[in-house]
Amino acid sequence: MQLNTSASVISFSKQLEADSAAFYQKMAEKYPKGAELFLAFSRENSKYTVMIQRAYYGVITDAIEGCFAFSVETDKYTFEREPAKGLGYTDALNQAIDMEQKLVSFYTDAAEQSEAFMADVPRTFLIVARKRKDRKDKLGTLLKET
Amino acid sequence: MAILEEPIKGIVEVKNYIDGEWVGSKGEIQDVVNPVNGKVIAKVPISTKEEIDAAVEAGKAAFPDWRRTPPAARARCLFRLKELLEANFEELSRVQTQEHGKTIDESRGETRRGIENVEVACGIPTLMQGYNSEDIASGIDEYLIPTPLGVFGIIGPFNFPFMIPLWSAPYAVAAGNCIVIKPSSEVPLSQMKIAELVDEAGFPPGVWNVVNGGRTVVNRMLDHPDIEGITFVGSTPTAKNVIYPRCGATGKRVIAQGGASNFMVIMPDCSMRATIPALMTSFFGNAGQRCLAGQNVIVVGDDDHFYKEFVKGVVDTARKIIIGNGLDEEVQMGPVRDAEKKKKILSYISSGIKEGAKIILDGRSDFRIKGDYPDTCFLGATIMEYVRPEMKIVTEEIFGPTMGIIRVKTLDEAIKTCDDNPFHNADAIFTSSGRTAREFKYRVKSGNVGINIGIVAPMAFFPFSGMRDSFFGILHTQGKEAIRFFTESKVVIERWP
Repeated sequence: MQLNTSASVISFSKQLEADSAAFYQKMAEKYPKGAELFLAFSRENSKYTVMIQRAYYGVITDAIEGCFAFSVETDKYTFEREPAKGLGYTDALNQAIDMEQKLVSFYTDAAEQSEAFMADVPRTFLIVARKRKDRKDKLGTLLKET
Repeated sequence: MAILEEPIKGIVEVKNYIDGEWVGSKGEIQDVVNPVNGKVIAKVPISTKEEIDAAVEAGKAAFPDWRRTPPAARARCLFRLKELLEANFEELSRVQTQEHGKTIDESRGETRRGIENVEVACGIPTLMQGYNSEDIASGIDEYLIPTPLGVFGIIGPFNFPFMIPLWSAPYAVAAGNCIVIKPSSEVPLSQMKIAELVDEAGFPPGVWNVVNGGRTVVNRMLDHPDIEGITFVGSTPTAKNVIYPRCGATGKRVIAQGGASNFMVIMPDCSMRATIPALMTSFFGNAGQRCLAGQNVIVVGDDDHFYKEFVKGVVDTARKIIIGNGLDEEVQMGPVRDAEKKKKILSYISSGIKEGAKIILDGRSDFRIKGDYPDTCFLGATIMEYVRPEMKIVTEEIFGPTMGIIRVKTLDEAIKTCDDNPFHNADAIFTSSGRTAREFKYRVKSGNVGINIGIVAPMAFFPFSGMRDSFFGILHTQGKEAIRFFTESKVVIERWP
């Protein structure tokens, strides 16, 4: 599905954050040795949602291209809400890394598309993209330790 | 993606807000209809002369105490209102979509713009400071004190039911005046919601009044001896032939903002990638129902390759606009406000064709509504080529989702086309040349000038300008000019022998 409006992209990002939070909660339940980190990730997601919403509600005006800012293909960025059944810890970490890469791509693409129109929104998207990249690195470290 | 929940359920009985109370009306009752689905969402009174008189009387009675309330204390009421508006941001936005039809992004944008005016008015302790000169003659000092005047009338239009009355209201009350707002009877719910929050914010009774209605209310406002001034936003015929002369006749100060027929000048060196989305918002945002909307583009130069590429880009993008219920977050353009307005837009399109314009995207039929809604108020984007400056679709305001394309050879011709038009509300240029942009902004006779901006909407701390047939008055709404409008300059010359 293609999203063009700011409202739909902001809602989509909220959904991605909720899905990713659900994913890490399941990870915490299934793999107790990484539970602390996974739960921290899950909690952080709601912070990102607030940051993005705050940026959007703060800058949206009738004078910018709010309905014509984006061209987001949602299929590129969606992922499973929980680790696949029967997956070992290593494979689950790999799934998490793939998910984070999709989120980095989403936020980077959305920031680029809205750069000319939305002031604080692309900056916030890029902050979240950076945080996601950090997460990916942490997950990579965990993977190496297994 | 789901459709957002409607905040208005059932049928709301709209009342007047007078002297801090919600009061019924003895006038006739009209339906307020959601243009998306034709459902009645509210009943609004067309108030009587006695009811507007009662509101003015309440304002007049509240004025002496409100005027004496220190500006910082008046600002605190506005700060509380601002907090309440923020807390109810989403509901207020969805109400606009329900009563007007605009998309949720547009409604949220309108809410933000409205709140910004409250924020700016919160600075009243400094905004309202006067100035002085010591020793204008030996031992004599002179100073200016901006003083409030009394009761003001604010008459709102249908296209921005939340924001436009807030171009005036916060400044008027911050300066120590009392107000009576008459919202458009087509879209009264946003001002009702704001008045509920005004009540909660603790404004004294009588400072902020809302009276719903039509001509009776407007006529009485214009004639009322206790109304000091009027701000009006609406059509040019009403601004020019009714509001402005009647305020003159009764000695009222006036801001009368009228219609527009705005030009977007396209230079061949513009960034196509940035220009096309800006034009989509300018021409088709709010379904074209705004006085800052582009009505015609003027493509400059004889580069046929650029022209063809530009037209193709615009048509291809406009054709893909998703049309439907504004509460569906994917929708990019909602309906026009009602069937009558649609009929008027259709008649302008027919007139354009009759006068020789060629239709290259036909919004009369070439569109699809997302969702199961009647097409009563819907139109697609219409684009017409071979438009000439003397056509009715250029010299009159269409107020709908249409774009005419005019070709000229030089920037001089483009500026002349802008300047020969009777309206001078907002014109913009799209270019990558600073020199061209400067030339345009310097010479074009327009109240609001855009450079690579499709909607030239001044922020709350700048005046909302306009010239010629787009504006009647001297001072404008918003910011410092609004403060000047809502205060008299009292000059004191002082000597102590």
